[in-house]
Amino acid sequence: MTIVNFLIGVGIALFGFVLQTSIGGINRKIVGRMQKRHGPRWYQEFIDIFKLLSKRAVSHGWIFDFGVIMALGGIIGTAMFMPLTNQILAFSNNGVNYDNFFIFVYLLAVGMLGMAMSASGSGNPWASIGVMRALTTMLAYEVPFLIVVLTIINLTNQSSLTGIMEYQQMAGNNWFIIAMPLGGIVGFISLMGMLGKKPFETYIAPAEIASGPMVEYGGKQLGMLFILHEISVFIEVSLFVHLFLGGATNIFEFLIKYFAVYTFANLISNVNGRFKIDQVVTFFYKWPLLMAVTQAVIVIYFGWVI
Amino acid sequence: MLSTKFTPKNKMTKAEIDRKWWEVGDYFRRNSLWLLMYCTGCCAVELPPSMTSAYDMERLGMGPMATPRQADILLVSGYLSLKTLRRLIYTYEQMSEPKYVVALGSCPINGGIYHDSHAVINQLDQYIPVDVYVAGCMPNPESVLNGFVDLMEGIKQKTMNGWKRYHDHFEWYKENQKNSLGEVIVHDEFHQ
Amino acid sequence: MTNSINNLELVKELVSKTTTILKEENIDVQQLAFEVNTCDIHHVLSVLKSAGWKQLSYLSAVDWPDENKFEVVYILFNWDKPVYVQIRTKIDRENPSIDSILPIFPGAKYYEREAHEFFGIAFPGNPDYEKQLILEGWDDIPPLRKDFDPSAYSDRKFPSREYPQDYSVTDEKNHSLEKRAERKARAERLRTGGKKQ
Repeated sequence: MTIVNFLIGVGIALFGFVLQTSIGGINRKIVGRMQKRHGPRWYQEFIDIFKLLSKRAVSHGWIFDFGVIMALGGIIGTAMFMPLTNQILAFSNNGVNYDNFFIFVYLLAVGMLGMAMSASGSGNPWASIGVMRALTTMLAYEVPFLIVVLTIINLTNQSSLTGIMEYQQMAGNNWFIIAMPLGGIVGFISLMGMLGKKPFETYIAPAEIASGPMVEYGGKQLGMLFILHEISVFIEVSLFVHLFLGGATNIFEFLIKYFAVYTFANLISNVNGRFKIDQVVTFFYKWPLLMAVTQAVIVIYFGWVI
Repeated sequence: MLSTKFTPKNKMTKAEIDRKWWEVGDYFRRNSLWLLMYCTGCCAVELPPSMTSAYDMERLGMGPMATPRQADILLVSGYLSLKTLRRLIYTYEQMSEPKYVVALGSCPINGGIYHDSHAVINQLDQYIPVDVYVAGCMPNPESVLNGFVDLMEGIKQKTMNGWKRYHDHFEWYKENQKNSLGEVIVHDEFHQ
Repeated sequence: MTNSINNLELVKELVSKTTTILKEENIDVQQLAFEVNTCDIHHVLSVLKSAGWKQLSYLSAVDWPDENKFEVVYILFNWDKPVYVQIRTKIDRENPSIDSILPIFPGAKYYEREAHEFFGIAFPGNPDYEKQLILEGWDDIPPLRKDFDPSAYSDRKFPSREYPQDYSVTDEKNHSLEKRAERKARAERLRTGGKKQ
């Protein structure tokens, strides 16, 4: 564990930010073309973020400011552990890779809690409603997602992401989205929930609760939240790529898979309306949970893996 | 071989450095203008065509935003009654700087067809600084977009400094607001 | 469902049985208006409400400065028999006051506040008819009275724009070639998204 490892980690977080921001911009263009529009420039998201950082902002007390920095730090800390391919990984020691799945589960919570703290510190009722909805949505999608991931961990006997990637890349094994089709579908639906894409956009809901947790942010703080959002999207999509799509052996494979997953999620998002919060919870506890449990039973008791 | 001769450069003063940074910021600001739509008047009906595929505002980097804190442009679409003006001033003061005001239609310019109404103000720039007026009743989407392009050019030429004017002439604006509105504080029995 | 002619006759019969009708007006095939005495208003309204006209669509007033009267109008609607019934009554213009109909139609609360704000009619029985509803901090006579001059009020209160020169498009200058070229260049800029060619 040297300073080089940390530099690589920060590099991965920065790479994730640049990658997700560009792909987000390209996706805005794609959506524009779908709607017969010209669409913005592909680097529009960068302009947006730098503009926000150049603006003046008001503060609502030190919790408000500190929470944003804590959230951003937590998310960057999480992204540092993310492997890009089998080899590109920040922290490893004598063949042991420190990229356990549960690191992400724990560290992502730091970012989310920081944001919740900061949003509640603003004192705006919309922010409280938004935070409450975000936590409820999290509670809804985590259960089916974790059941599927635990099934994968049971099957591969390890919880390291690179380990799971290598298991899928071994001859004779399929990607888990093919090996466990029901689990793959559940994973993708949960990913949509994590990303806050349209059917599960309930906690942002610009027309309903005025963009929820972000309601009081402007200028620099909002810019930091945008960076936070891009990096957390990077983490979530990469998790899906590594867990279900067989990871990547080189960086180009990773880019292609990443782009495909994010664009697909975005396309689905753009033809959907928005659920109410109770519908989100009922939805996740009905079909995805049922499918996840079925998949777990099939894999663990019957051992049927394609 | 590198020259070892030390050549003293012309050092920039702090004001010049600030100006340079401001120009860099201006590039980002004029290419990413987020709107806060204050849709009280009839001119709001011209916004859907200018936002959707017919004229596509997003290609200029513009888009609607949900709250005043996030927005750059306060878009006043149409007439303003006293009651809405009170909320408008409240909203304007909440926005983070630099902020711009675009007023659509003839009502904010000189009262329009409501020039003799007891409830509608005649001239918006007496109360808050307006950067761009788009005349017309109602202005068509081309003129609306033209107004935004003018705003962008103005940001580039550093002429759109209404928010600075609001700081400099704060007393004058407040006095005008008080003369017309009585008091600017919003009293609302449903939100107290 | 009975047709509307029968409904009109039904309403006429109902109201004439209840009270003395000062004036009756057939506005429409679906609208009827009765003018009644001020003291009978509550009785008529409660009878109509129990007969099915249970929606108070509107409550407002009309100013008749020549007669020195305010005419208070209650508009009721029935969802089973499609007839609007207007009940009108005239009250004095000096110190106008009429008892609130809050016990019969609780929704009249805000209509009465509005009528008080715009005409200055008092509604004793409504606990907060004097609270402001639409006009905030009004400092003149109620604005919908006929003797109120909105134009003078506007001139006094709101500064109007003074034009240093006439901008109307009558002279040749506004049609000159330069201006046209400028407009064209601007249109071109708009088409290319503000980019320089």
